[in-house]
Amino acid sequence: MNEEQDQVLVRRTLRGDKKAFEMIVRKYQQPLLSYVGRMVRERELALDFTQDVFVRAYASLRSFEPRYKFSTWLFKIASNLVIDHWRKKKLPTFSLSEPLRKDEDCLTLDVPDDEPAVGRKFELAELRQRIETALEKLPGPLRELFVWRHVNELSYEEMAEIKGLPLGTIKNRVFQAKEMVRRLLQEMS
Amino acid sequence: MNCFKINDIYDYIEGSLSPERREELERHLSGCPRCRRAVEDRKLIAGAASGLPPIAVPDDFTQRVMARITPAKVKAPVWLFILACASSFLALTAVVMIASGRSALGIISGASHSFWEYVKSAAVLTAKAATLLTLAGKTTRPLLEAVYKGLSVLTSFIHPGLQIFILILAMGLVVSLFFGMRKKFSLGD
Repeated sequence: MNEEQDQVLVRRTLRGDKKAFEMIVRKYQQPLLSYVGRMVRERELALDFTQDVFVRAYASLRSFEPRYKFSTWLFKIASNLVIDHWRKKKLPTFSLSEPLRKDEDCLTLDVPDDEPAVGRKFELAELRQRIETALEKLPGPLRELFVWRHVNELSYEEMAEIKGLPLGTIKNRVFQAKEMVRRLLQEMS
Repeated sequence: MNCFKINDIYDYIEGSLSPERREELERHLSGCPRCRRAVEDRKLIAGAASGLPPIAVPDDFTQRVMARITPAKVKAPVWLFILACASSFLALTAVVMIASGRSALGIISGASHSFWEYVKSAAVLTAKAATLLTLAGKTTRPLLEAVYKGLSVLTSFIHPGLQIFILILAMGLVVSLFFGMRKKFSLGD
């Protein structure tokens, strides 16, 4: 996502050019909706939240610091909205910086065991469908990282910046999310 | 032969393993079918996950966002504000001096005299306003009493259930008006 172009569009918006902000919306509406949609799992709600992200971004554009990536800033606003939603709905959530609980022992990322392979069991389209189903069962914070990594193609550095956590913690949690998806696929097969 | 950890396998798949470690892992893979299967399976799942379809954005999404945003406020620098105030004050002083045909010193010496005149006028005005308010109170009191009596008679005729319904309807109207106005103001329509 061309960062230099984003900074130009932000400066133009701050000078009162609404067309520039419209270009920002067009550029980021798809990646943001793809992320928010998988977090809240209701299309209409996801559309409302994605709109809210842009409205909030526009209202606080002056507080955006150009030394950060604009896309990262947008995803941070979206993530805060999603977390607020989870809290309001009293959905189970946890801090990514907390140590693993006992029931998450399967995510210790030790050496591979003799588990059966699942990737070859399905055709690509079916595998994707099953990954979407597995994502619904994944705890919110891990689902968020998985979607950022695979759907939005964010780097570990970007994710660490959004969550304000060390790079190593984020990387470990992403690997755990991937392992959990794999275990869920195994259970489904 | 020591198997590699899942972390290393993910790093290998993502191409972020150091060249030495990568070579070591590839050597290990040639002799370890379990790790080979683990790598292949995770590669397949990662490939499928990276191709998850985006969520479709409605055609009018951008327009809906743009309709919700208010124009960015162009912040004027503080020095410009001070300069504007100072120039306005000077211009006003010049106009007063020219119109009165007096010198600046004359205006300053006359100012203290005029100040007490203003205080006297303000005191008289306050006393008159207080008398007017008392009179208004005396006139409206019988009117309010008549309205109260009228309502009491009316409610004795209407069924209590219907009264509650009317009350709820009125409250709903007030709440919707309040939120409607609030939304209007907050979005700057």
